[in-house]
Formats: sequence, C-alpha cells, structure tokens
Amino acid sequence: MSTLATRRSNIRVSDFVLELILLVIVVLLGFSAPGFASWDNFMNILRSAATTGVIAFGMTFVIILGEIDLSVGSGVAFFGCLLALITETLGDAGYSLEMAIALGTVACLVVAICAGMFTGWIRHRLAVPTFITTLAWMAAFRGGAYLLTGSFPITPYPDWFFFFGAGFIGGIPFQAVVFLIVFALTWFISKYTVFGKSVYAIGGNAEAARLSGINVAKVRMAVMAMTSVLAVIAGIMVSSQIQAGNPTVGVSWEFTVISACVIGGVSLMGGKGRIWGTFVGVLFLEIILNGMTLLNIDEYWQYVARALLILGAVLIYQLQAVSRITR
Amino acid sequence: MGSAKLEIRNLTKAYPGVVALDDFSASFEGGKVYALLGKNGSGKSTFVKCLSGAVTPTSGEILIDGQTITFDGPADANAAGIAVVYQELSLILDFTVAENIMLGRFATGGPGNIKIDWKETNTAAAKILKELRIDIPVTRKVSDLSVGQRQVIEIAKAMSLNPRVLLLDEPTSALARHEINSLMEVVRTLKAQGVVVIFITHKLNEIRGIADYVTVLRDSRHVGSVPIDVATPKVIVDMMFGETVLQSRPDDLKVGDKVSLKVSGLTRRDKFEDISFDVRAGEIVGIAGMLGAGRSELLRGIFGADRIDGGSVTINGTEVRKPTIPLMKKLGLAMTMENRKEEGLVQIMSVEDNLSLASLKEISHRGLISHFLQAPVAEKWVKQLHIKVSDPSYEVQSLSGGNQQKVVVGNWLNTDPKVVFFDEPTRGIDIVAKQQIFQIMWDLSRKGLSVVFVSSELEELLEVCHRILIMEAGRLIGEVTSPETTGIEDLYAMCMGEGARQLA
Repeated sequence: MSTLATRRSNIRVSDFVLELILLVIVVLLGFSAPGFASWDNFMNILRSAATTGVIAFGMTFVIILGEIDLSVGSGVAFFGCLLALITETLGDAGYSLEMAIALGTVACLVVAICAGMFTGWIRHRLAVPTFITTLAWMAAFRGGAYLLTGSFPITPYPDWFFFFGAGFIGGIPFQAVVFLIVFALTWFISKYTVFGKSVYAIGGNAEAARLSGINVAKVRMAVMAMTSVLAVIAGIMVSSQIQAGNPTVGVSWEFTVISACVIGGVSLMGGKGRIWGTFVGVLFLEIILNGMTLLNIDEYWQYVARALLILGAVLIYQLQAVSRITR
Repeated sequence: MGSAKLEIRNLTKAYPGVVALDDFSASFEGGKVYALLGKNGSGKSTFVKCLSGAVTPTSGEILIDGQTITFDGPADANAAGIAVVYQELSLILDFTVAENIMLGRFATGGPGNIKIDWKETNTAAAKILKELRIDIPVTRKVSDLSVGQRQVIEIAKAMSLNPRVLLLDEPTSALARHEINSLMEVVRTLKAQGVVVIFITHKLNEIRGIADYVTVLRDSRHVGSVPIDVATPKVIVDMMFGETVLQSRPDDLKVGDKVSLKVSGLTRRDKFEDISFDVRAGEIVGIAGMLGAGRSELLRGIFGADRIDGGSVTINGTEVRKPTIPLMKKLGLAMTMENRKEEGLVQIMSVEDNLSLASLKEISHRGLISHFLQAPVAEKWVKQLHIKVSDPSYEVQSLSGGNQQKVVVGNWLNTDPKVVFFDEPTRGIDIVAKQQIFQIMWDLSRKGLSVVFVSSELEELLEVCHRILIMEAGRLIGEVTSPETTGIEDLYAMCMGEGARQLA
C-alpha cells in the first residue's frame, strides 16, 4: 500500500502546463503583434535571451545544489571591464588586439574560476552560506568594475569584436548559437553525467551524498566556478554589443536569471529542477518582453508581467505538487 | 475529570486504488493504555491521521464520550479532545520548556495587553509539568535537554490542552532504556487521570509493563484487541502477520581464518578510546552498548565519516591511518547509516538513483551515466533484497521504512564490498523486514564477507552474530563469544558495565 502512496507518472499533460501556456501566448502574439511571427523576430528573441540565458543554465545547477549566486550581474560588468582594460593596456603596450583580447579573456576566466571555487570552498569548509559570499562578490565586482574603469566606459575594441554580439553564423545570430550550445551542454550534463547526478544528490541530501562517497566540496566548487565562467561569456557578449567595457551593465540581472529558473520550476529548496524548465523560463520572459515591445506597450509593464509570471508559475507547481500528494 | 471513552465506527479511508483503512470499528476506554501494533503499511499511520484530523475519513464515525465529532484539520481535533504526539518532535529548540509548552497562548496581563507575563507563563508551564510529575526546570532551553526529555516535554505540551484521547506515535524509538522508563511514568500518570492512551510501537517487549490491551491492525483491517495478560509474543505475532516463522542464525555460516578488518588503538577524543578488534572473513560481529557508548561513532570513525585522532584501520591488508570515505570505499568497506532518512537516502530521488548513489563510478563511463548499466543494477537489488516497489523510478520517500532500509543496503552492496557495517539497520521497521535484513547479513557471511552489526536491540545481536563486542563510555569492555548460550539479561548487565569482563 505505502509503495503506491506517491506515484511518479510517466507523461501527463499537467506536467507541461507552462509549455502549453507559452505556446498559447506565442500563437496569440503571432496573430496580434505585428512582425512577431517571423524568422527574424524569433532569432531576435533567441539573441536577446542569450546573455541572461547562458547564466541561467549555470544558476540552475547552483539552485539545484541548494545554493544561490547573487554575483552574476555584477560579474558581467566586472569581467567586461576587466577584459576592456587588459585589452587597452596590452594594446597600448604593443600587443596585437587579437592577442590582447585572448589574454584578457584568459585572465577573466582565471579570476571567475578562482572566485567561484572560493565561494564553493568556504561554503564547504566553513559553512558560509553562498547567499552571503556571493552578496559580497556582488558588491566587490560592481565596485571593481567602477574602479577599473574610473566609471567611464573603455572602448579598445576592433570592429571584428562586434561579431560576438551581433554576428551571424549561417543566418543564425552568434549569440543565439552560444545560447543553444550552452543549453545543450548543460542539459546533457544535468541528465547524463555523474557530475549532474551528484549535484541533484547533494541538493537533495548533502549528508547522504557525502556518506555515499561523493566529493561534495569538489562539486560545490565546480558548480560555483561554472556559473562564474558563464558570467564571463555573457560579459564578453555584452561588451561586444556595446563595443566597450562599461561598469553599469548587468544591474539586477541576478534577479532576472533567478526568475527564469523559478519560472522553469527549479526548486529553491534544492534537489529538484530541470535545464529544460529554465530554457522555457528564459524564453517565456523574453517572449513576453518582445511581444510587449511589438504591441507598443510601455516597457515598464514588463515588470508587472514578470511578477505575474513568477507567481503564476509557482502557483502551478505548488498545485501540481499538492495534487500529487493528496490525489 | 471522569474517564473518557473513544468509539470508532466503521472508519474507512480509501485512496484511489488503495484502501488504507478498511471498516475499522473499536472502542477505547479511558484510564486504559492500548498498544496499537501492526507492521509497516498495515494502516496504523492512516488511523492516526484520521484521528488527528490530518486526513478526512472516506466514511465512518469517531465518537468521544458519545458525541460524534468531525473535523477539518488538526486544530479541530485538538478542540475535540484528541492530541497526537508524533515520532518527529515539533519543539522549537532555541525556546525554553515553558515557551514551548505555552506557545500560542502565553499569559499576558489581560486581553489587549501585548506584553508577555513571563512569571505567569512559567508558572502555568510548571504547573502542567508538576501534574505529570515531570521534573525538568521550565526555564531550561529545549536544546539542552536529552532526546528523552524532549519527548516528555512534547507529551506535556499535548497534555496541556487537556485532551481526552492521547495518541503516541512510536514515542520510544529514539530513546535509551532509562529514558523509556521515565516516559512510561508519565503515561501511567495520564492513565490515572482517565485519559484514553493509544500507544503505537514496534517494540513488543516495551508494552509489557504499560499496556492494558493490545490492538492489532493487519492489511488495513482491525484484527482485534486482546488483554495484555493473554497476549503472548506468539499471539501478537500471529495477529500481526498471520503465520510467520522466526528464524535464527543458520548453522552453515563459517568464520574464515583471514582477518579482513583489523582495528588498532583507534581513538577519537571524547567519543571512543583505544579500540582494537579483528573481524575475520565470513564473521558477523555485533557491537552492543547503551545509547552514547560510542558504537555508531566508532563505525563512523573507521569508515572515514568522522575524523579520528589516533590508531589505525587495516582492511584486507592495507593499513590506513587517516580514513576517508572514498578511500575506505575503494578498499572494500561499506556502511549503512544509523539515520536512513537524514544520512542514508536522498528522499526526493528515485529508488533507482538511490540504489546507485555510492556506485556512480560503476554505472558510468568517463563520467557519463549509462542507463544500460544503471537499470539492471536497480532491478537486481529490488529483486534480491525483496524491495517492495512496482517501479524503481518511484521516489524513495514513497516506500515504507523497511523497504527504504533495503534500498540503503542495496546501495552499498552495489559497491562490491568486503566488509559491511550495519548501524541500527532495524530501527523502526517491522519484524518481517527485520528478518529480511538478518537474512541479508547471513547471505553476506556465506559469501565470505565480514559484517559488523550495531543494534540497540540486544535480542537481535544474540540472534544474528557470531560474536558480540561490548562498549561502554567509549571503550571496549567485554566480549560475548557464544551468543547462542548467552541470555539477554546477562548481555544487558554487561552493557550496563555490571557483568563479568568475559562471558564464555
């Protein structure tokens, strides 16, 4: 009897409520919003989803792990500024710009990985909540971005650098390609790797995972580092769009990113969530914004829409959970 | 307050596809203690939930003192005079005893006064404790109390609502023997006050001194109630299980010559000191001792779950001075943890995933998990260990305690161990599941594996082991080399530190 108490069913329509709602909205917008249903517009949506989107896939792992990362928005600004400064400095010192950008990118990645690993490490060794550590990083990155640039944008980039923000590969925006590749990679990692399974296990019960011989410290450090690396990638894309390192970008992106995860059904309690859900969450936010722009609705309404979306999605998930328990 | 009377008429709770409680009728008299027994999944919890207002019965009636009562939630049940004390405590650890008991109805100067009158609150709480003859200062923080004392406070809190019916859901499962005694004192006091006490338990021996009647549920049905003096163990077990055969250790288990685990001078400050013993291939060694003797801590130290301060562990010839879990796992050591919920399982993961938690490397290639490797593993252990689940993709939290325990065991057997530690594997599981766990240990022994078995149930150790080590206050103080001929009283005395050093 008790073995039948909760049933994880195979496939049910009610598990795809959010996808269905999104589909209905897409269809409605297709009929009502001029220019919505076009290839160019869809590519546009994917392109603008990319910057916060790639970070959201990393954040999904962080949240499944039972942690949070508030530093990603400031990180985008900081890494953008660091890259610009290094490029400018090395360029002035006689290096080719290609070389300068490459070295700058490596430097950003090293800083990002160290910062993420540090967050994961003191979470593990000293049980400092990642909320606190990344709150500190958030301030440090933002301050660092201003200090590096003297609060003015740095513009050292050659024309080809524009490719990372606005280029196309076979008719598809480069950013959209990055977004889809990161989606595919993280989806695969979460579903098919020992690392992915370990993330779920630690988020579900860290002590049981540790006692099963899973290296909890390593996984925590890797996940936090991965998210920082994705912030670097987003930072490069943003820098390319604006052709500068600007300390004011990425403000409150951490909340956009966390919103996308929550809308996608990733549980802030840890242990539960899917990359696919985050993908849908990211697209949902972007499509609403895109549709509202095309319908000439005041852009500030997007915040209201986002609020309703978050509450609505969580409501749906709670109802699903309750119906699963009580049936 | 006169004697209460609780009547249940045709109580039924049906879930789609499953009848969890089937046409239950019984009446319970005040001033009597009823031991409610039944194996896991027999409908006990559903019965408790119906009475506590946590679920609404499909049909049937509940009457207190002749009045039919209905309720929409636990608050209504409390108002109607039913209080339930659950296994998991609901106390706020950072609050004092008085704050916990009086929570939600602190004394203030009067209506409209928002300032808490602490003197009055503490006095009221102290009065409740005094009535129950509980001797714990009300200003003590609950976090400073022992588990047993907390359980007693939990009951006091429930009793402060003056219920007519008190349900205790396995109140003793985490308690040491002397703590159980003080809990029983409280139950006796309640009995004298005319309260109906329904006591749910898995431990047959502990109902002896306290219960007046034994009420048994089997397969969602009320089998019957018998007075305690006619309820011999055989009668009870027959009522609970129909017909079962209780097995004891088979004769064909051979202890080999090869020492597979050698522990030398192992020490962890304040936990255990200078522990040395050997376990040979095929041998099942029990460790007995009172709560807090350091048994679990010792196993955890050997396994690498906690740091150690000195000594060494030699496993299959490899000496280790600083055990870590990955290392010990590689050397062939496995351990099922004491608290399966907190330490053994990831509750929200599937049975399949939980069965391969400790062997992710074995089911993967270069970091990629292969479903073709994982699925047969799950299937194999579900079958071999008789795990009752119709689909291994179900979440492990939907399984009964006994089946969850088997998942924990399967998870570790999957690492292909040479030595297996079982820390309290039988806690909170029914007799049939216990027998299956014992059978697993005997099968391991037959295959030449070594087993170390820690249990608070001394009968189990005598029944299962080749040899029993006795721990007291962090030291090995004795050994029983022939469990077959040793009485439980002797073993108990030894654990208390009273017996001879060695019992042949």
